[in-house]
Amino acid sequence: MLKVKNLKAGIEDSQILKGINLEVNAGEVHAIMGPNGSGKSTLASVITGKEEYEVVEGNIDFEGDDLLELSPEERAQKGVFLSFQYPVEIPGISVSNFIKTSISEQRKATGMKPMTTKDLLKMMRDKMELLNIKNGYLSRNMNEGFSGGEKKRNEIFQMAMLEPKLSILDETDSGLDIDALRIVANGVNKLKNKNNATIVITHYQRLLDYIVPDFVHVLHNGRIIKSGGKELALELEEKGYDWITKESDKKWD
Amino acid sequence: MSEKKKQSEDELLEKVTSTEYKYGFTTDIESDTIPKGLSEEVVRIISSKKNEPEWMLEYRLNAYKTWLEMEEPNWANVNYEKPNYQDVIYYSAPKQKPVLDSLDDLDPEMKKTFDKLGISLEEQKKLANVAVDIVMDSVSVATSFKETLSEKGIIFCSISDAIQEHPKLVKKYLGSVVPTRDNFFSALNSAVFSDGSFCYIPKGVKCPMELSTYFRINEAGTGQFERTLLIADEGSQVSYLEGCTAPMRDENQLHAAVVELVAMDDADIKYSTVQNWYPGNDEGVGGVFNFVTKRGICYKNAKISWTQVETGSAVTWKYPSCILKGDNSIGEFFSVAVTNNFQQADTGTKMIHLGKNTKSTIIAKGICAGKSNGNYRGLVRISKGAANSRNFSQCDSLLMGDKCGSHTFPYIEVKNNSSKIEHEATTSKIGEDQLFYCNQRGIGTEEAIALIVNGYCKDVLNQLPMEFAVEAQKLLEISLEGSVG
Amino acid sequence: MGLIENLKSYSEEIQISDDKKDLLDSFLSNGFPTTKDEEWKYTSLKKVIANEYNIENKGQVVDDSVIEKYSLGFENQIIFSDGKLINTPTIKGVSISGFSEFESNTNDSILDLNKSLSQNGFTISVDKNTVVESPIEILFISTTETNFSQYRNLISIAENAEVKFVERIQNLNNSSSFVNNFTRINCDKNTKIEYNKIQNNTSESQLIDTVNVYQEQDSTCDINTLLFGGSFTRNNLNFEQNGFNCESNMNGVSVLDNNQLADNHTFVDHKSAHCRSNEMYKGIYLDNSKGVFNGKIMVRPDAQKIDAFQSNNNLLLSENSSIDSKPQLEIYADDVKCSHGCTIGQLDADALFYMRSRGIGVEEAKAVLTYAFASEAIENISVDQVKLLSKKLLAQKLNVELDFSV
Repeated sequence: MLKVKNLKAGIEDSQILKGINLEVNAGEVHAIMGPNGSGKSTLASVITGKEEYEVVEGNIDFEGDDLLELSPEERAQKGVFLSFQYPVEIPGISVSNFIKTSISEQRKATGMKPMTTKDLLKMMRDKMELLNIKNGYLSRNMNEGFSGGEKKRNEIFQMAMLEPKLSILDETDSGLDIDALRIVANGVNKLKNKNNATIVITHYQRLLDYIVPDFVHVLHNGRIIKSGGKELALELEEKGYDWITKESDKKWD
Repeated sequence: MSEKKKQSEDELLEKVTSTEYKYGFTTDIESDTIPKGLSEEVVRIISSKKNEPEWMLEYRLNAYKTWLEMEEPNWANVNYEKPNYQDVIYYSAPKQKPVLDSLDDLDPEMKKTFDKLGISLEEQKKLANVAVDIVMDSVSVATSFKETLSEKGIIFCSISDAIQEHPKLVKKYLGSVVPTRDNFFSALNSAVFSDGSFCYIPKGVKCPMELSTYFRINEAGTGQFERTLLIADEGSQVSYLEGCTAPMRDENQLHAAVVELVAMDDADIKYSTVQNWYPGNDEGVGGVFNFVTKRGICYKNAKISWTQVETGSAVTWKYPSCILKGDNSIGEFFSVAVTNNFQQADTGTKMIHLGKNTKSTIIAKGICAGKSNGNYRGLVRISKGAANSRNFSQCDSLLMGDKCGSHTFPYIEVKNNSSKIEHEATTSKIGEDQLFYCNQRGIGTEEAIALIVNGYCKDVLNQLPMEFAVEAQKLLEISLEGSVG
Repeated sequence: MGLIENLKSYSEEIQISDDKKDLLDSFLSNGFPTTKDEEWKYTSLKKVIANEYNIENKGQVVDDSVIEKYSLGFENQIIFSDGKLINTPTIKGVSISGFSEFESNTNDSILDLNKSLSQNGFTISVDKNTVVESPIEILFISTTETNFSQYRNLISIAENAEVKFVERIQNLNNSSSFVNNFTRINCDKNTKIEYNKIQNNTSESQLIDTVNVYQEQDSTCDINTLLFGGSFTRNNLNFEQNGFNCESNMNGVSVLDNNQLADNHTFVDHKSAHCRSNEMYKGIYLDNSKGVFNGKIMVRPDAQKIDAFQSNNNLLLSENSSIDSKPQLEIYADDVKCSHGCTIGQLDADALFYMRSRGIGVEEAKAVLTYAFASEAIENISVDQVKLLSKKLLAQKLNVELDFSV
């Protein structure tokens, strides 16, 4: 589904991603871990098309399309979804209005018929139940006055409504308490199927107890320096990052 | 075109152009024969050209004398080069706008804007002053309009007409809400005002349609010093629309209008303004200075609502106000003010509570983009006798990008302790982050801005009469194009 | 004589380290803060320190009936009786012990006094990934009359841990005792803590209570202050956000009558980006009571994308009650959202009349409206027992018999 080849990207004069290679197939869950500043969020931003990053080399293939040629909304309409690390507030747009617009743009782009209000409302209520979100949430303005946890749940709610092919969860678990974490993880797991894929970017191994990855990659200094199965996450939890990063630094210096 | 048709059009053309000259604007008195600058002589010339009665001339002369004693105000937060008052022509023939043969001759920028605003071709022709057809239209439409009004006893005409035809009314109320001495610009206006609207709604009459300056037979051009007087007698009701969404270019830099509203006991006046002065080019050069004094006085149980959507003009200084004199009266102010590029706006409102149980509501939304500066200045004054009065104010600023600024100066003066005041102010921002977030959800940038701005302004847009609301919405979208990043 | 003299005599008798002696001497020569100090501008300590105090305490061990009276019935209880730790619960993943030495880290003369002389307090450490399901209750009970006591407490919460506390300081006699309490909380990454303070001491008691919280990235700290009792209370809450994505929440409800004074001072230092802070303080003032609120928010230059919200609402229910409220914003970053609101008012006469016209007595009607006023802050408390107690105490102070258990 997603093929990232030798991706090198940076911002202004500093190069952050120094040659990323990553392949994600349908039905898979990939975890990307790494210390602060390793380039995790940059990778997510580049895949989804944030303009401030400049790609100097490499390409990103998504189901036959060259993502780097597409605008952010086009990538979204193709089925790429990012759960932001820091979701922004959008004044003046209610959650329901925002999602309605988002869905109708997707459908327009893929030539599907628009969703009826009735169906839309029903779908919203179902997903709210799935994520244990209270009533009154839909009429609030996007992320305005939301606590950190509520913002993250709003992201997963949108994911549930938009049903993307590839979901990138950028530190979705940071700042969530254990109850909220379980609900979010539950939501993500229920949405998983053999046709979609998830990239989970996380700082804390704890999330991976709930969203079990098929592959774990360690990102350090803009490169994936080690990949493995879910056991790798447990090893990192026990030993920290030093044992891998030291090795890698030696190699790349 | 058939000979016959052409003849009648010629007749109409004659008729209309000659009405413009009705008050002595004969061809030899072109603007180039009147000296620049303001002096007692110029004031006399203006008055005589309009054929005004003695009392009107005296009013103007007194105002001129008062103006000489006053000093132009200095506002800390607005920077502009002060106009040279002796370099202005205070009298000129009502603008003979160049008559175009067809819309193809129209400035393509203007045409693009008209199209975007969804203005019908017919309307576009009128606004662009395309020859003949519209003249017919405006005369015929305006005529039937006037008939309906006169049936009800409603007077709606230019103020120049009113001075001639309804002197008692004008004399009684002119300057009663905005006295000459009120401020520098009101004094100036009182001395040299060119024209404006006059409206009188008799007791108990509900005006059946929205009164719009658009339909005044008198030229729809922009006067430098417009003077408007609107009187709603006891128990009457009227909704008045001013301005239009099409961009108004004007060579005149300075506009100092005065609007006075009188709402007698139990009357209800709704005054809506949609103004889109051409703000000049991207560097802000050539824009209009808009200094307006608008004020209404409410008697017992009366209500005045000011609703405005303002975009444009290089510098705006405007504080529609209500004097809540009568007990139980209500004042409302709903505003969306947009500034972009290098514009500066210092707008707000004053609600003066004098009577008991008076209530005022202020919802002011500022949208600032580019390198502009938007200021809200509001005064809520509760005087000693204004027992049990209430005010609710909400001033919000929406900043687009990070080079613009917005400031709020709310003044709350309370001298009565049974009153309730609530004030809320918020600032929010649309930056690249918000737009990227929307993009990532499949929503394009232009669409996202439209969504956000409309959501933000809906409280105010809901107050506008229908036809204006739709145009106003589009206007907001256009004026904010390319404003982020 | 007064407290300074009491402290001077006491310091001559006891054995403390040289560092502490220096600290104490420096404090004694400067004295307690006066109204000339900016931080104490509206609140005078003159009367408080003019009283005579016993610095030593009796050392009595209270019995279970007393504990039961003031406890909210939680399973895990940490009990101090006259400064002595008499009960420590066993909780998996949590180590609890008595007093320990640690740094205050702030420039505060009251904390200097606390550091130099305190010998009592608790030290709690919660292990990594531990989620403590049931709230931990902390009771400081004192029997000694006109006692000046100081507690110095430390809580350290390791990565991913979650814990809730309910704390109460209680005199058993109605003498004018004075407590100087200090708690330091260290929140590691991705932790969550809720700390509830029930301040319903006897009518003559006096309290200065300081909490300093140090937060690492992704952590959330809530401190709820329920102020109903005591003649003089000064709360200082200081938060330092040292990592991204921190959240600091403060809820306060004060209901004062007679001649009570309550001063709530809060300070949030936003040092990192993408953080949030929320304050909601509700004050209800009857009789001759007086309230002071000072909320300071600082946003450092690199702390972009901060969302800070502060609201202070006050009900003055008598002509003689008064309130001084001062929100302070010091913002050095440019992409920040801060809002603050303050209201001071009376109960809505129309609403009151409406209720009375439906047969509800005037006192009950006032109580319902007052409860509605305070409820927004109370609703933010997650521990049900604390919520319920607040409602009960509110009803008590307003002198009504309403059942707010819903």
